[in-house]
Amino acid sequence: MSDWLCAIDHKRVGILYMLSALLFFLAGGMEAMVMRAQLAAPGLKLITPEIYNQMFTMHGTTMIFLVAMPILTGFGVYLVPLMIGANEMALPRLGALSFWLQFLGGVLLYLSFATGAAPDAGWFSYAPLTEKAFSPGAGLDYWALALLMITGGSVGSAINLIVTIATQRAPGMTMRLVPLFVWMTLVASIMIVFALPALAASLVMLLSDRLLHARFFDPAQGGAPLLWQHYFWIFGHPEVYIVVLPAFGMISEVIPVFSRKPIFGYPFVATSTVAIAFLSYGVWAHHMFAVALGRNFLAIFSAASMLIAVPTGMKIFSWVATMWGGSIRFTTAMLFAVAFLLEFTVGGLSGVAFATVPVDWQMTDTYFVVAHIHYVLFGGTVFAVLAGVHYWFPKLSGRLLDEKLGRWSFWLIVLGFNTAFFVQHFLGLLGMPRRVYTYPNLPWFGALNVISTVGAAILVFGILLFCANIAMSFFFGVTSGDDPWNAWTLEWAAASPPAIENFAEIPTVRSRRPLWDQKHPEAPDWSEA
Amino acid sequence: MRRAQLGMAMFLIAQAVFFFLLILACVYFHALPRLYVPSGSILTALLLAGSVCIWRKWRWGAIAFGAVFLVGLAGTPFAMLTAILGLFVLAGVIALAVVPVSGLRALSLYWYFFTAVWLIIFGIAGQV
Repeated sequence: MSDWLCAIDHKRVGILYMLSALLFFLAGGMEAMVMRAQLAAPGLKLITPEIYNQMFTMHGTTMIFLVAMPILTGFGVYLVPLMIGANEMALPRLGALSFWLQFLGGVLLYLSFATGAAPDAGWFSYAPLTEKAFSPGAGLDYWALALLMITGGSVGSAINLIVTIATQRAPGMTMRLVPLFVWMTLVASIMIVFALPALAASLVMLLSDRLLHARFFDPAQGGAPLLWQHYFWIFGHPEVYIVVLPAFGMISEVIPVFSRKPIFGYPFVATSTVAIAFLSYGVWAHHMFAVALGRNFLAIFSAASMLIAVPTGMKIFSWVATMWGGSIRFTTAMLFAVAFLLEFTVGGLSGVAFATVPVDWQMTDTYFVVAHIHYVLFGGTVFAVLAGVHYWFPKLSGRLLDEKLGRWSFWLIVLGFNTAFFVQHFLGLLGMPRRVYTYPNLPWFGALNVISTVGAAILVFGILLFCANIAMSFFFGVTSGDDPWNAWTLEWAAASPPAIENFAEIPTVRSRRPLWDQKHPEAPDWSEA
Repeated sequence: MRRAQLGMAMFLIAQAVFFFLLILACVYFHALPRLYVPSGSILTALLLAGSVCIWRKWRWGAIAFGAVFLVGLAGTPFAMLTAILGLFVLAGVIALAVVPVSGLRALSLYWYFFTAVWLIIFGIAGQV
């Protein structure tokens, strides 16, 4: 036990990240189910409005800060050194410190339940609702302090990943040769370094308002609630890409291996990632179209928001082109990757719709937004992570996940997810606001909500089956060998699970598929380049 | 120690964004600290002296100047901005006392950075 508590080895720290993310994912999922049960029929009163507010606040905060970011960081911390041919992270103690800051931040957030004062102002906690006058309990203090800790941990782990990728690559591995997962983790980490301080600054000002009687966000004393929105979304929109780009990286590893073709357009995938990073800092105000920004600002942010769809679309085309003509093996990992392409495209397209100002005005704060964000973050990030778990589980554990259980969980998750969230587009179009505790018995409202709740229940069942598969396969799964997928990147050259020293001998890299070169010395990639 | 310096540089980039946004908000809301030029100049001189010490690798000199700076800062009217800066200087002083010699180069970047942040705050908020 103390081995794990004091661990600085990147593999153990990575697994700790993943386990904590799974723990909080189950907590966030339970909060979602409480909300869906409350909304299953018009006029239900299963819980109080106050509890409902706490549920949606904790659900959003948990899923963004305690699930999406840590799970991707966990994969990054575990895989990046292996993929670049390094034996350890560059700053291992910082890696461990970052994990514990993040995890204990999550614990602090959940301690607020024990005090009976969970935060209840939504995951982006708009001012002036968060001022002491309107939220007198301690819930928001817990929220702000917990997020400050999580922010510190996230920045620490991002720095560690950047330094590792910059300094620990195997001989010969130039930036043109690193795996795309590493590329996208690097870009997401740089984005964290630039974006999360905006959240930290906002939180410090919020705490100053609440605890030191400052007046940053209190309009009654000359403060500006819109300042919170600007600062929060300067962090918040890049954050969407921070939790999507590493997921793109996972897909960029899974699809080529199971299509038996190198990724199509590697330079375009890599450079479009950089383009997304730059553009993501210029689109924050598209979350604020409903406030009076002025016509020119609306036009600029609308255009930038549409523009960012171009590099994202380039990736989709690259993945489809990689599959085109390939010998596709529909393993569970590949099924999740293909589902990711479809679900994320739905979320991306509704995002482009939101970039159109009049559409945003009509739809803002309706269930259409809820559907959109879940298609991006669940259909995108979570589906990619599920593909990644099925792909890399043999590396972590030395055992294969059960394919039959995997396929069952895949179909249940796809069915449940689409049933739960696709109908929410229609609820939004019909005008149902988000974050309402209950609703009147208007035409279609009851029917669509009950469909959504049934879908959520199916989704939960699929996730539980996935968890059962992990647990059973970990103990009883078929031994995988070091490279069960006949893959090409360096992590598969290490033992499964890897030894403390990842590589007995640091490999020399001459192409993007170093394992292919080893297996096919008669036709290595580098001789073609 | 290329790794430590690169890591520190990344950390300081994050801090630059953090302080830029905080200072911007304080300027916008006229919430800057009240720093009087005579006492503020002494505090500035202390931090600069600490920077010279760390540049010459006189670790304990930098610690002494940093500690006196913190005592002096505690005597100024309380403001969020200077309080946060003070916390970072305190962290720097503690780090100076515990890091091995090999970490001094990275830590010097930290010290120069927060000296620069102080100079900016004092430049904006200094009052005669």
